[in-house]
Amino acid sequence: MEIRVNPTRMELNRLKKRLKMAERGHKLLKDKRDELIRQFLILVRKNKELREDIEEELSGAFAKFLLARAVMSQDNLEEALMYPTRKLTLDIDKQNIMSVNAPKFSWHEDSDQDEGNSIYPYGFAETSAELDASIETLSGVLSRLMELAEVEKAVQLLSGEIEKTRRRVNALEYVLIPKLTETIKYIAMKLEENERGALVRLMKIKDVVRAKM
Amino acid sequence: MPIDDTAYAYAVGRIRALEARLLDQNRFDRMIDASSAEEVLKMLTESEYASSFGELSNIHDFETILSSELRHIFDLLETITPWPELIAIMALRYDVHNLKVLFKARYLDIKSNLLIPVGTCPTGKMVQAVAEDDFRDLPDRLRIAAEKVNEDFLVNHDPQVIDLILDQALFEELISRAEKANVPFLKGLFIRQIDLINLKTLVRVKNMGFGREFFKKAFLPNGNLSFDQLGGSIDEPLESLIVQLGMTEYATLVDEGIRDWLDRGTASRFEKLADDYITAYLKKGKWMPFGPEPLIGYLWAKEVELKNIRLILVGKINKLPAEAIRERIRDAYI
Repeated sequence: MEIRVNPTRMELNRLKKRLKMAERGHKLLKDKRDELIRQFLILVRKNKELREDIEEELSGAFAKFLLARAVMSQDNLEEALMYPTRKLTLDIDKQNIMSVNAPKFSWHEDSDQDEGNSIYPYGFAETSAELDASIETLSGVLSRLMELAEVEKAVQLLSGEIEKTRRRVNALEYVLIPKLTETIKYIAMKLEENERGALVRLMKIKDVVRAKM
Repeated sequence: MPIDDTAYAYAVGRIRALEARLLDQNRFDRMIDASSAEEVLKMLTESEYASSFGELSNIHDFETILSSELRHIFDLLETITPWPELIAIMALRYDVHNLKVLFKARYLDIKSNLLIPVGTCPTGKMVQAVAEDDFRDLPDRLRIAAEKVNEDFLVNHDPQVIDLILDQALFEELISRAEKANVPFLKGLFIRQIDLINLKTLVRVKNMGFGREFFKKAFLPNGNLSFDQLGGSIDEPLESLIVQLGMTEYATLVDEGIRDWLDRGTASRFEKLADDYITAYLKKGKWMPFGPEPLIGYLWAKEVELKNIRLILVGKINKLPAEAIRERIRDAYI
């Protein structure tokens, strides 16, 4: 229950100060939480859109890839895709969302290859034409896949932060603040009790003195 | 012909017996209608493939069976053919595959396990050749091509060019070997394969949005359809190509296959028809009593059969609708 303290006026003042501080912190954290959730919802919505888009495209590409796989031998297929034509360099930076350090990706395709090279790393004689379409889709989807990875990580980090903040808000609201109020009340009562005791004692003494006279 | 046709009597006899054991359309239909991959497997164990598929513990390992079957066919043909050069010619494709793999592995600085142990040059020797830039043991055209690949890659770093150069060299080599051996049937096969690949490449290059120059790089010479005949179509709608080829032997194939490709955006029909076209061509040689034709036909028939089995297994494992499998299944040789 309440905190064990000496019921003194000094302690009372100290606790009152702490209570005020806790209440201020509680208000601030609650604001932070609300803003985090707002940001979170924006990102989650973006994430959902991106993900649905990409999933649809990818499942299309995979279906085509599967058909290409079905008409080519494994060795041929893997030989065809063995040496990728595109290289991607990814730089990771930080971006600050409500003091959460989310990654910020920036990427560019390496230019050690000529502009004229196609995205298809294979020849035509031994490969199925059904492979082309899936490679094309996959190559188009890559940059958005990066974007999705960035957003998804941010969402993950934000959700962790929201949970932490919410736990703090609740701890303040349901534990620390009631405890402090309780203790303050206890000290106040104790002090009043002492005061009343002193008064009664005084009156009693006065009675005794008066009776002797 | 390098040797007397009657020398083929034994080989053709063996082939006749083996042909009877090829899977027919009927059996493929049953496999397509099977409810699961396991059921397909069961049907396979009741066929010619009983011993090899019987040992398969995990269905996803079926590729190892297919490649050992391929190896097996080549071994068999090697023992029965009176003319080993024929098998060497037919195996050249796999040499070129191995070359591609090894070049790419070398440029990536990795080890690769994608080699197919069927080629004329043992894989160990091939590995050494690529590692040491010593292509003396390869046929001349492939040697020159391999050197060209080395030069080009250092400048352009384009893996596609590796394939393009080697494919071109392969088909030039095939044609010249068939000419040298004076087997018109074999040359006819390669010419048709070249034409069909070129037709397919034309549409693919067009779909990729590349122009005439690029098509020239990917074009395989020596076909019946010359670059001048096909190259013009790259900037025109494909309809005109269909009309233009209306008088050639590919008329129906082009009309049906390319139209379907245009309508549905998938080459599946065209590729099936192209393979069927080759099958139909080879079937003409099937009843030759003496000569290399039945051997060539049987080899192709086996390759197509393995392709069909792969298609059905991949389809069933991934639960493709039966129709998607059926429309891609190649005609059986028998």
